[in-house]
Amino acid sequence: MRLHSITLTNFRQFRGKQTLDLTSDAIKPVTLVFGANGAGKTTLLNAFTWGLYGNMSDDVEQQHRMITDSAWRALPIGDSIEVAVEIRFDHEGHEYRVLRSGRLRKESDNQGPLSASLQMWMTGSDGASEVVEAPQEKIFTILPVGVSRFFFFNGERIENLVKKGAYAEVQKDIKVLLDLEQVERALSHLPKVNRKLTDELKKHGGETASAIQDAIDALTDRQTKAKDKLVLIEGDIAELTEERDATLELLRQHNEAAPIQTDRDAVSRELDEARASRDAALTERAILVATKGFQAFTGELGEKTKAVADNLYQKGALPAPLKREFVDQLLDERACICGTPLEENTPPWTHVTEWRQRAGLQAVETAWQRLSGQIAPLAAARTSLRESLATLLERIQTERERVSRLEARKSELDGKLKDSRMEGVQQLESKRIDLDTRIATKNQQKGSIIAELDSVTREIVQKAREMSRAQVTDELAQKARARSELVLAVKKALEDILAYREEDMRRRLDAEVKEVFKGITFKPYVPTLNEGFELTLHQNVDGVELPVPKSTGENQILSLSFVAAVSKLAREIRKGGRAEGESAVDAGTYPIVMDAAFGSLDQDYQEAVSRALAKMAPQLVVLVSKSQGLGKVVDELLPYVSHLGVIEAHTTAPGDIAEDIELEGMAYPYIRSDESDHSELKVIK
Amino acid sequence: MADRRTERQVLEELSPEQLALLKRVLEIERAKLHITAYDATDDLLAAVKEIIP
Repeated sequence: MRLHSITLTNFRQFRGKQTLDLTSDAIKPVTLVFGANGAGKTTLLNAFTWGLYGNMSDDVEQQHRMITDSAWRALPIGDSIEVAVEIRFDHEGHEYRVLRSGRLRKESDNQGPLSASLQMWMTGSDGASEVVEAPQEKIFTILPVGVSRFFFFNGERIENLVKKGAYAEVQKDIKVLLDLEQVERALSHLPKVNRKLTDELKKHGGETASAIQDAIDALTDRQTKAKDKLVLIEGDIAELTEERDATLELLRQHNEAAPIQTDRDAVSRELDEARASRDAALTERAILVATKGFQAFTGELGEKTKAVADNLYQKGALPAPLKREFVDQLLDERACICGTPLEENTPPWTHVTEWRQRAGLQAVETAWQRLSGQIAPLAAARTSLRESLATLLERIQTERERVSRLEARKSELDGKLKDSRMEGVQQLESKRIDLDTRIATKNQQKGSIIAELDSVTREIVQKAREMSRAQVTDELAQKARARSELVLAVKKALEDILAYREEDMRRRLDAEVKEVFKGITFKPYVPTLNEGFELTLHQNVDGVELPVPKSTGENQILSLSFVAAVSKLAREIRKGGRAEGESAVDAGTYPIVMDAAFGSLDQDYQEAVSRALAKMAPQLVVLVSKSQGLGKVVDELLPYVSHLGVIEAHTTAPGDIAEDIELEGMAYPYIRSDESDHSELKVIK
Repeated sequence: MADRRTERQVLEELSPEQLALLKRVLEIERAKLHITAYDATDDLLAAVKEIIP
């Protein structure tokens, strides 16, 4: 299949009718198309798959809006508009034109469902053109839809090809691509042919031959049933194994998550405790402030009181060594303590009376004594309050720090746990055991079916020998026997060919993937396509093969290598020594159309991939943005480019958003302001 | 897989009739590969009868 052109009519961003010429040759196999983000690179890629298969990839948003929005807006209600993709290509000596188109009548501003129809025309080398009656089926024959994902793809999503679980499907698609289906179909049809022939043999061949043939028929029926059962059981085993692997993966995740979980539980407990301690310290401080906080303000009061008292004391005002009550008693008794009578208005009486003035009151002294006794402890209490507060503040600070440290730790652990699905270990473990048991049982059944098949096959061979020796006199029966033997011999040969092709294909793909991968990456990794069609990466570390964790970059390169290998093998495998004889010159030739070819690869890889791309397929359409495609990529690819194009993005976005792209020394419009949002395919060369 | 015969070996071991039928069978299947509902039995039987009339 070699693409000639693609024409889009009102297809998504591409308003009106726009054509991209894709004809290329072996020397310049590349068509390089630039487009800004959103300009329509993915749309252009999907135009190919929509045109050929009627579907678009999941990453295309708003798939129901098939018609250019601005064209739809401008359409009067009640009118209809066409949307179409036309692809022209040649394949094995014929030229084809595929047209998928539909008309949509405008009922409202929203686009309704589009019912598109497919037409296909084929032109032979003699120039005669004819309509292809089953166009979709014909396209499937040329490039089966499963296989198309190797040829029309998004570079950023290509690693899905080598992801776990994709192998079985990839293997199936590869078989189709590499021409095994016709052999498989022949193998399913030939037994029916043989049965018709042996019916004739039974009819005309006499009793012995008829009996032998009956036995063979019975054995063949058993063989067919056993084969069917084997296919079913193998499917079951594959399904169970996949489920078991998924369970093991969950268990592994669980094992990984378990210590994190334990850690998190411990951190949670500690965090609760830290929060409680912090709150307790805060409460203690509040109580302390409420009950003793006033002490902080008694510093001056104590000193002032003491100063006042001292002052009074020094003045002799307080407290006197003599109590007023004692002097009053002396005056009442009219006798001094020394015996001197204290007659009123006598000098001793006056003297003692003067003393009375100077004597203090008992109550005042007691109060003073109590007060002065408290002045000193008050200072101590203040010191102690200050110390207690300091201790509490330190404790609060420590606990606060502990809380925030534990909160951070807990968030970290929560983040780690968020992605792992935690199912009960016990439950998972019993599920795994159950699955293992079921797989073992199925394997036993498989073993006995294989044994049965072996024995039936031997019996059939034995009976076939008997049949060929059996006396058959009737001419019709003899002929039927000869024909049946011929069919069986061909069937056997085809079985051998199928087995050989399957193994040969895997072996060659493996070798080719290794070769291409080595050419792109500088890392010492070796890819292997094993017998189960699983593509793995290994690294030889001192003689030990260790699996390499596939980072996205390596996965992308691995997938690209695989695509390159498939593309090459599809061409080569049809050459020489094949039962079908010589194939068409371009048999197995397919174009590769890739969007975001360089995905998220870094500069080194971009350069290596560009180099590999040019040799990857006989025809290559590369869709890139300026950021992905300029610089080394364009330098590497330009010598191989036959067509250079730009998807000019026209936008209603406000402001000065106009942007150019410089290619081969010339500037071309890349983004332009316009009255409507749409894209235009512009050919540069 | 070492004991598996190559496609060429398999073909070489066939008699001319067998080889002719094998090629014809693949040709018939290949031509109708895109018609999934196609049952090749009658066409294949006719091919056998052409080779052993």
